[in-house]
Amino acid sequence: MMQLEKVLTAGIGEYNLRDIDVYRAHGGYAQFERALKEMQPDAILEITMKSGLRGRGGAGFPTGRKWSFLPKNGRPRYLVCNCDEAEPGTFKDHELLEQTPHQIIEGILIGSYAIGSRHAFMYIRGEFKRGYEIFMAAVEQARSAGYIGENLLGTGYSLELTVHRGAGAYICGEETALLNSLEGRRGEPRLKPPFPAIKGLYGEPTVVNNVETLGYLPHILRRGPEWFASVGTEKSPGYKIVSVSGHVRKPGNYEIPLGITMRQIIDDVAGGLREGRTFKGIQPGGGSSACLFDEHLDLGYDYESLAGAGSMLGSGAIVVFDDTTDFVKAAHSLVRFFAHESCGQCTPCREGGSWLEMTLERILHGRGVASDVDMLVSVSHQMTGINLCPLGDSIEPFLASVVKRYPEQFYAYVREPKPAVAV
Amino acid sequence: MIGAERGDAHEAAPFAGVLARLQPECVRLIAQYEESRSALLPILHLFQSAEGWVSPAAIAACAQMLDLPVSVVESTASFYTLFFRRPVGKYMLQPCRGLACIINGAEDAMAHFRERLGVGHLETTADGVFSYEEVECLAACDRVPCMQVNLEFVYDLTPEKIDAMLAEMRAGTYVVAPAPQTATPGGDWHVAPEAKKSPGARGVSNPDDPGGIGDRSGWDMLRRLETDPHPIVVRPTKERLIADGAALLSGETGPQ
Repeated sequence: MMQLEKVLTAGIGEYNLRDIDVYRAHGGYAQFERALKEMQPDAILEITMKSGLRGRGGAGFPTGRKWSFLPKNGRPRYLVCNCDEAEPGTFKDHELLEQTPHQIIEGILIGSYAIGSRHAFMYIRGEFKRGYEIFMAAVEQARSAGYIGENLLGTGYSLELTVHRGAGAYICGEETALLNSLEGRRGEPRLKPPFPAIKGLYGEPTVVNNVETLGYLPHILRRGPEWFASVGTEKSPGYKIVSVSGHVRKPGNYEIPLGITMRQIIDDVAGGLREGRTFKGIQPGGGSSACLFDEHLDLGYDYESLAGAGSMLGSGAIVVFDDTTDFVKAAHSLVRFFAHESCGQCTPCREGGSWLEMTLERILHGRGVASDVDMLVSVSHQMTGINLCPLGDSIEPFLASVVKRYPEQFYAYVREPKPAVAV
Repeated sequence: MIGAERGDAHEAAPFAGVLARLQPECVRLIAQYEESRSALLPILHLFQSAEGWVSPAAIAACAQMLDLPVSVVESTASFYTLFFRRPVGKYMLQPCRGLACIINGAEDAMAHFRERLGVGHLETTADGVFSYEEVECLAACDRVPCMQVNLEFVYDLTPEKIDAMLAEMRAGTYVVAPAPQTATPGGDWHVAPEAKKSPGARGVSNPDDPGGIGDRSGWDMLRRLETDPHPIVVRPTKERLIADGAALLSGETGPQ
């Protein structure tokens, strides 16, 4: 087992970090107090920029730069923490929410202070009812301790934190859909530009950051941006929580330095494959990422290497497939997911997704024909790049990659005549 | 009002009580936001937690509190799968059909549920105890197959675990509290019959044609053409109007 340094996940399972006293005993809220009393907001922005921290929700956009886009126009600004985790295979925010709610709150507080927000929002996925209750209790503790409210720690800075529950819609993880949902509307993504930094919540400048992204802020303040930047690769610095699931012996959330190889993640971190099984594929970055195979296992797990291999790091959800995998069923599950979660605004995504789902259903029931398999690839490709948000582009990567690699699995289901496939 | 066909009569009186009890909390929720409409989701959550579903009365009350048209609240509520716009069972059983579950035995778990409950996806048992819905990734992929019962997680499902869980729910001893029910179960009630139509433009899935394209109307027409060369009689408009008018006046049949 590889020795991993825990940062965000430190203490989980060891002590009760839901209790503010326990959290404070381990250094909690000290960085927020220091920031508020000793640091200017611009200094925090600079530190965040210097650390190289990139958004951990999926897009990997540099956090400091995102903040720097806010116009200096004296308008109210909002910070929104995105905890609408629902990408297939991702379960890190779920654990952070339930296990270390105060760390998230401290991240929100530091981020809000850095961008000059007086009202922050926490958007929690509707299914996380228990997590919501735990987080609400933590917010009340933080409020009693004087970290949320008026004139915090006597500095004159005031911040309100409102916790908002979603109600079952993956698309609300997309930042503009999230803002619509927060405004009490259907969670349909908005046309960009304008980006939320210019025109976001209630039409005001808004920053939307992932739970994990904000959670790293206290650690970066405490240990310095150089420490964070020294871990990982040059362009993908720092740590990342990967949610490893599928056919490994020890599925779970693991905090890794970016840049270690996927082979290390499977074998050393997640306990390897089960007895007697052989490796067939790995989906490295959530449901929207292309499947990678044997020849990619020694690539580093970082934004650039995965993008170079035609996939992506995304939210850090790693699903490992062994030789028991039916890739037709796997692809069907993901296509059904994206078809179900399409908001319906854009025709390619709404129609393409549901027709692909039906085509896969037909194939699975033995009623498909060989040309259906080609159609899966061509339709998923044609619906890519022409939608308001990335959801419609999310079907092609996995579907096309597994059809290309394991066509025999798809042809095994279709009616005669079957094309000859070199296996 | 959409969906108001059921339950309004016997709910009118109880809802007034629910509303009176929840109103102060609604006011507090609205005050949390710069714009009152932001409280739409929280208010609907609140009513659903009290009534077990988002009733037409709750939608109307929400619309009034937020000064929005009922249609806007209805439209927004219908976007979110966790708002039940029909009464549901005391236990909402939601096994996960996400990728990590599917490759680790979720299909067997779901088949077991369907067999034991005697209902399928998006259906409710006739006694009103269970509603069943297969849902998308629940973000618990390390302990699969997983599910939620009234939004509480249950992990590592096995047939034995499912049987024990259902028995305890029927006996009223299960660890997760049953949801409140204000609507009386009926023979035909479902979570949302209309939701069986998939989102987008998909047709109703045909049980006789699993995996086929849902809309069979083209095939039906083809079959009719094969058996009857003139299945459709096209009449000129004037002729049709005269014939229909005559039939109407003679009181035999109305216009078709």
